[in-house]
Amino acid sequence: MNSAILTQSLSKTFGQTLAVDRLGLAVPEGAIYALVGANGAGKTTVIKLLMNIFRPTAGSAQVLGIDSRSLAGKAFNRIGYVSENQDMPEWMTVGALLDYYRAFYPTWDRALEQQLVRQFDLPLQRKLKNLSRGMKMKAAFASSLAYRPPLIVLDEPFSGLDPLVRDELIEGLIERAPETTIFLSSHDLAEIESFSSHIGYLEQGRLLFSEEMSVLSDRFREVTVTLSVPAPLPASLPPTWLQAQTVDCVVRFVHSAHNDSTAAEIAQFFPSARDISLDPMPLRSIFLAVAKAGRLRAPSQHNQPAVKGTAA
Amino acid sequence: MSQILHIFYKDARRFWGEIFLSVAITAAFAWFYPNTWIGPDHIHGAMGSHSVASYNLQIIGGFLLALVPVSWWLLIVRVVHAETLVGDRQFWLTRPYEWPKLLAAKLLFLLAFLYLPIFIAQCALLAEAGFKPFSFIPGLLFNLLLLTIVLVLPILAVATVTSNFARMTLTLLGVFVGIIALGAVVQRLMPNHFTAIAGASYTTQGAFTLAFCVCAAVVVLQYALRRVWLARALLYGIPALLILASPFAERIQSHHPRIDVNYPVAANPPVQLAFHPLSPSYQTYETWPDTGEVLIHTPLQGTGVAAGTVLVPDAVKLEVEAPNGVHWVSDWQGTAMPKFLAGSQDGDAVVSIPRDRYEQLKSMPLTMHLSVAFSEARETRVTRMPLPSEDFSVSGFGVCSPLAGFLSPFTQATGLLCRSALRDPPLTYIGVVWSDTPCDAPHPEPDQGVQGAAWVGSLDRAPADLDISSVQQVHFTLSNSIYERSNVPRHLCPGSPVTFTEYERVSRTQTSVTIHDFHLPGVKVSDGQTHVFTTTTTTTEAPKQK
Repeated sequence: MNSAILTQSLSKTFGQTLAVDRLGLAVPEGAIYALVGANGAGKTTVIKLLMNIFRPTAGSAQVLGIDSRSLAGKAFNRIGYVSENQDMPEWMTVGALLDYYRAFYPTWDRALEQQLVRQFDLPLQRKLKNLSRGMKMKAAFASSLAYRPPLIVLDEPFSGLDPLVRDELIEGLIERAPETTIFLSSHDLAEIESFSSHIGYLEQGRLLFSEEMSVLSDRFREVTVTLSVPAPLPASLPPTWLQAQTVDCVVRFVHSAHNDSTAAEIAQFFPSARDISLDPMPLRSIFLAVAKAGRLRAPSQHNQPAVKGTAA
Repeated sequence: MSQILHIFYKDARRFWGEIFLSVAITAAFAWFYPNTWIGPDHIHGAMGSHSVASYNLQIIGGFLLALVPVSWWLLIVRVVHAETLVGDRQFWLTRPYEWPKLLAAKLLFLLAFLYLPIFIAQCALLAEAGFKPFSFIPGLLFNLLLLTIVLVLPILAVATVTSNFARMTLTLLGVFVGIIALGAVVQRLMPNHFTAIAGASYTTQGAFTLAFCVCAAVVVLQYALRRVWLARALLYGIPALLILASPFAERIQSHHPRIDVNYPVAANPPVQLAFHPLSPSYQTYETWPDTGEVLIHTPLQGTGVAAGTVLVPDAVKLEVEAPNGVHWVSDWQGTAMPKFLAGSQDGDAVVSIPRDRYEQLKSMPLTMHLSVAFSEARETRVTRMPLPSEDFSVSGFGVCSPLAGFLSPFTQATGLLCRSALRDPPLTYIGVVWSDTPCDAPHPEPDQGVQGAAWVGSLDRAPADLDISSVQQVHFTLSNSIYERSNVPRHLCPGSPVTFTEYERVSRTQTSVTIHDFHLPGVKVSDGQTHVFTTTTTTTEAPKQK
């Protein structure tokens, strides 16, 4: 499958600060790819590098087959971009904004525009500066979906929105999903879990993993081992075991490389185990485990992968 | 093209207020500014409340003149910042804007709402002043080019490297303060005798060209690549270096062989120069701040200038030889020597000499070789007429009006005031005949009165001078304008003869004179100032062709 977005060792520094560190990312065409990570992880920087708003310090990125550094002008006919932080021409009314943008796009679909206006209940006569944050985002969505772009890039699109608006936007987005690739960043796992097909986790500028959502869910298990007698944790645990801790006869950890032989592998470490349970984890728990594991790493280990994954 | 027009219409809709303000100011300027021209109407208004009114007109006219570029600043900044080039949050960055079209849309906006109004205003001013605007289209366009280089393009360039109006204003203030500070540094570095030498001031043209290129490069760089720091470095760094380098450039220029190339030694010098120690100017002295330099006045007499020719001294150079073997040669220095016409003419050549060198040479009889670089100009047109009582046009020169002085009766003209289109008039000798008595009193025939004269204009003329107004007032003072006995102004009576003699450069040349046994003037320092006295010298004079 072709990649709508492909990066190779993409890096960006601001002065002494390394914001993006040798990012290797592949977003398949047709995917709904969620780039997640804590605040300050570098998600927005990655998106701005992809959109040629920032120039990479090293490495390269291809967006719809175009080098990101050449992305300009007509290339944006095929990209819809919405960001929570984007300055909009607030002096315009919603109607004037749509009228203004319409002339730029040969593929602008007037019927779709009207549908989106109705769907988002947009007040065409009101100026953007007089709209609520949610309404502004709806206007931004409408103006970025109406020309049916093959790639939609969203930077924290749902941040700070009430659940109703969020659902409306997600619904509008999902309707476009069959015909487009969606790449979005978010630090709110709950909002993307329901509709993302792929996920990447960014921490301090580094991509810790990038894979299909189903694979990720299969890979992580919350492990509870019940021992016959209390015992300390073995001195050396596999690096795929995260946040291991023991309380009396119970050992708990997160297994990040679960497969059919996981139970046997665990039994080798804990011969006195009375019971081993492997429970699926919600996305939120997976990321918390990964994030905490990353923060516990020693500085010397910083450049080593915290979790074995299928990062591109 | 559609994208250009689309962005243009959007900006026009958004900035209608700024456009209205700018056009209104330009229109007000064009309507009001002619009131500042002192014409025949003002003969009746030279005193009392009328003079106050006239002064107020000048103030208001000057204010409107200053407001025009301020309104441009507002217009340019607002339209550029509509799609600001600094920052990473602008809506247009991820829309299918093509930068050449975006830039073209902004330029179209300026063309429509800045250039067109000022062009129309300048045409209206020309028409109001008595000129035919369509005869001056190339000059008008050249003036717009100069305004672009000096005003529009720098504002545009600064707007492209700032993100909002407040930052732009602060940046301009910073640039203004920086220019003053750098100017102060330059002032200290600049030779005291600095004067642009006609025909050789290529550094000025170079500076204009470089400023244009830098600003244009910054604008294109920003629109094409948005490399803000590189653009800022170019925009602020290069002019600063340029200003700092200017004194050195002038020094290089004054040494430059190009002056000797431009002013070759003539086989038959158009003027014979001789040392003229009995000239009254030789008895004068002047004070000069303690700058480490001493001014040496050398009175000269020029003879042998052909009829219909004027020699304009552009620069002087002094070579001194002392009996003890000391030899010193000055740079070419600009000069304010009077022009040489047919007949005998006196003039001081003033040369600056370093104080330490002066101390070395002052007590010795010196041999001085004084070279003077001239522009030789010939009469191209003579216009003679009886003085009209109202505005009159002089072909190739401009439009003139009789002018009343402050002390004269209301209805008496005591001078002339002229206006030229777009630039200084050509070098022109104006001759009038004064009347010692009021024009309505019985007096001899007008052409038997006292002669008055003035030089105006210049030999070096571009198609237009930099000015927001397309009409320039030509200021000059006619000689013998005061009646010595009663210390009151003389009068220019209607019907008295007026002559405008226009000159055009035909060549540049240099000639020199050698002066033997010259003693440098005495100097004493008093109250923190250096007083330079001329001194008596026994001399032999030897006009010499170099």
